[in-house]
Amino acid sequence: MNYLSIIKKKILFSLPVVFLYFFSFYHFQIPEVGKINVFAFNFQMILIYFYVLKFPENLGYGNIFLAGIISDTVLGISLGTTSLSYLVLSLFTSYIRNATLRSVMTAEWFTFIPALFFSNLVFLLIINNFSNVSFYYIELLQNTFFTFLFFPLFYYVFTYYQKLISKD
Amino acid sequence: MADHRDDFIIAIRYALLKKGAKQKFSLFFLILLSISIIGLDKFSYPFMIKIRATLNDFVYHVSVVSSQPAILSKHIVNKTKSHFLVMSENKFLKKEMEYLKQQKFNNAYLSSENEIFKRALDMSDNRGFEQNFSITAKVILDQKSPFLKSILINKGTNSGVGKGMTVFSENYLMGIIIETNFLTSRVLLLTDLNSKIPVIIEGKGTSALLEGTGKKKDLYLNYLPDNYEIEAGKIIFTSGKDGYLVEGIAVAKTYLVKEEVKIELLGDPDQALIVNVTNGQIQ
Repeated sequence: MNYLSIIKKKILFSLPVVFLYFFSFYHFQIPEVGKINVFAFNFQMILIYFYVLKFPENLGYGNIFLAGIISDTVLGISLGTTSLSYLVLSLFTSYIRNATLRSVMTAEWFTFIPALFFSNLVFLLIINNFSNVSFYYIELLQNTFFTFLFFPLFYYVFTYYQKLISKD
Repeated sequence: MADHRDDFIIAIRYALLKKGAKQKFSLFFLILLSISIIGLDKFSYPFMIKIRATLNDFVYHVSVVSSQPAILSKHIVNKTKSHFLVMSENKFLKKEMEYLKQQKFNNAYLSSENEIFKRALDMSDNRGFEQNFSITAKVILDQKSPFLKSILINKGTNSGVGKGMTVFSENYLMGIIIETNFLTSRVLLLTDLNSKIPVIIEGKGTSALLEGTGKKKDLYLNYLPDNYEIEAGKIIFTSGKDGYLVEGIAVAKTYLVKEEVKIELLGDPDQALIVNVTNGQIQ
């Protein structure tokens, strides 16, 4: 029984990592409704930002790096591009974590803007300078905007989930 | 001011170098590793090409497995939709079949008559579409990204697939092979921004370059003559000027939407399940 509860706890604690890898292997895309696809957002970035900020012990940098490499392979872009972008996001998030004294959702939501900006800037620079692929700037902008917009929703979902597993 | 700067430097140094409770690697080390990988990938060293091909084969196959739940749910939705359509379609098809049966006899007569006339005028149907490589492949992954509109097929260098080969779906040109691994290959779709093929437009035979825009119903024709206005309802064919695509393969058509002429592909890359990889032509 004791072993079972330990295994259950381990599985529940490693679920963010599982989700990170799953969404790196499988880039979901919901068909466009009208001209703007509101469901096109970067789930991995929300996950990384939230967990590095609030529960860094649940999501290792090594996993973030590896998830980025997988994502690059699936999308067919230069290896290391997404990894570096995710790591810059992690660096920025880690800095915010060290610099903030009191955790407030709205403040964390708005600090997500510069984090996303720097992360996507790195991505854009690498794609433009180290790769020959052309780029859908508008889609990236839409994607970033909806990633920012959906953050509070996932913030509450992840917080609720963490509360739930810490109770167990 | 100096204190504030010191605090900033300390926080950044802490974020970069401190591993934390359960972190095995520091951010600084991983960032350096990422930069090195980008560099190695950019200069395409021989060992890097082999590593990338192995990684591609592994990741693509895992990716196929991870996308199965989504494929299954899509399949269920489509099946449910089609079930409701079948009944009405069945009635319509029965009527149409009766009509076609009558037409078939007329067509057989016209076809034989046409052959006789062609032979008389010495205009045989042999277009000279030479083809020395053709293989059927299955689409294993069609994950679209904001950066590449491409699909993955289950045939690679072990089956003789090479870079630059053309891919057809239901007799329509769909894309070109841009990446080959041992077991898999990546097809760049005609809808991709990087796809550019020389074409001619039905009618006056105007030459242009058909470019992808990311959308299958809104392609772009570049290098058209000055003041040229595209007409709706025209078929766009390959011109063969690139040297490896045979001329006369129907690729796209023009259509009118809200008084604006747009270009759409004849084939639907999103619906492709089985494709035909050839070395430039189709039989």
